[in-house]
Amino acid sequence: MASVNAVSPHLSMLLSCYLDGELTKDELREVVDALETDLDAIAEFRRLKESRKAVRTLPTLNVPLHLLPGGHLSEQLSAYLDGELVTAEMPAVASHIDSCSECRRELGELDRSRTAVRALPGVEPPAFLEPRREAKKRRLGARTAVAVAAGVAAVSLAFAAAPFDSGDGGQSVSIVDLESRHTARASLSTPPTGLQVSSP
Amino acid sequence: MTTLRRLAVIGSVAAVTLTLAAAGASADELTDYLERSSQSTYSANRLVVSVWGGQTQISSSFVEHSQGMEIVQVDSTWSMIGNGTAMTMDDAPHGVAFVSNSEPISTDRYVVGGITQVTHMGRTCELVNVMEGDAVRARLLVDVRTGAPLITESFTDDGRVFRRSSLQNFLAYRTYSGPSSTGGAEYDIVMPSASDGLPDVIFGYRLVDVSEAPGDSEQGFYSDGLFSFSLFVLGDISSVTGFESPTPLITDTGVYDLVTTAYDVSIHWTDTENHFVIVGDLPPDHATAVLAELPAPDARSTFADWWHRLFG
Repeated sequence: MASVNAVSPHLSMLLSCYLDGELTKDELREVVDALETDLDAIAEFRRLKESRKAVRTLPTLNVPLHLLPGGHLSEQLSAYLDGELVTAEMPAVASHIDSCSECRRELGELDRSRTAVRALPGVEPPAFLEPRREAKKRRLGARTAVAVAAGVAAVSLAFAAAPFDSGDGGQSVSIVDLESRHTARASLSTPPTGLQVSSP
Repeated sequence: MTTLRRLAVIGSVAAVTLTLAAAGASADELTDYLERSSQSTYSANRLVVSVWGGQTQISSSFVEHSQGMEIVQVDSTWSMIGNGTAMTMDDAPHGVAFVSNSEPISTDRYVVGGITQVTHMGRTCELVNVMEGDAVRARLLVDVRTGAPLITESFTDDGRVFRRSSLQNFLAYRTYSGPSSTGGAEYDIVMPSASDGLPDVIFGYRLVDVSEAPGDSEQGFYSDGLFSFSLFVLGDISSVTGFESPTPLITDTGVYDLVTTAYDVSIHWTDTENHFVIVGDLPPDHATAVLAELPAPDARSTFADWWHRLFG
């Protein structure tokens, strides 16, 4: 234990924070200096690392549900949704969810939150990606121009060969667009069209 | 599908243990099932098979369903559908979003004709018969715990299954494998508009609302409480792409262009003024009856149409 006491509590705390990735730039420099020059600091660092490893490899024990605060599963629910529960925990948690309306409600709210997060609009890409994006846009622009030119040429040829009166606005619409519109509108209607499965 | 095969299908998926209710349950009960189904939370592989107008279509996809929203993966393509939105999440995510404040419609066309408790894949389920008159129009196998429809079968008026949807590798309350963001998606926002002469009711399907459609046209959304379709009246449109190789749908009122997918059917025709397209999940016999109440196709054939266009 002498080696433990050889390191100041402050440095020991910094080493622990270092393992957690929570250091500021200055603190990081202090830790790096210590690990480069101080054998006690290196020993303390190894000891902390080993302790963490040992804790991680401890067998997981099932906590009886009645010992959980309020008898509910708050923390396990998130792990349950993420598929991160250990196999031994699954039956107890699934069974509790089946019988506890409070936990089912919380599970539903958790899942709603996740769905809402997914639906959030994305952030703008970092500035360093802009040149590539612009290049892609230019490429797309060029492709569009080629496609439009080809389309115009085809239409011109068609009219030159056989001019005819279309009799309407000349705009076309795709069946895919119409299906997409119907699928979107049908998904809005609740509950009468809830049976309809969504077309991808 | 023959009666024998129907029985075999049901027999293979379920072991009947208890009959809970007999015929005579209300339409509200159907509404409750559909509402629970819409709001259920699960992920699964969905297989949909349809036989409509002589065309057989199959679709296999991975779905995550939660709170009326669904993320669907087919191969490497993801789509997000629900709550009025349909969006494809590829390199350039794009989609359409409907704004509507329409009230849910009520209908007395269907009633729940019987509920049977069964076990399917180790899960407690209810087998629900949806009746139209004396005939079974749909059969749902609903997971009791989540409300998810594990199997949905829709029937023609003569008792054949025309669409069957089933969920495999079902995981209750799990929705976490989909893409994490819809960043940068471009939406067409579709606003409700006033009806421009669309019928309020077509063969029992009620007009729920009307929206703007491409080319200053309109989309009427119709539902009968179980099935639905959109009627597009495309006045200022010269052509509808996607019907280049249609299957002819022949009814008493004329010949229509038919294109089917596993999920829905699209029917196209023209009269002297407009292009019409119906897109929906309605049964074949309902489609025929609906078409009979709409303007009939122009008698000219496609060949004649092009002949007139080219040579006057």
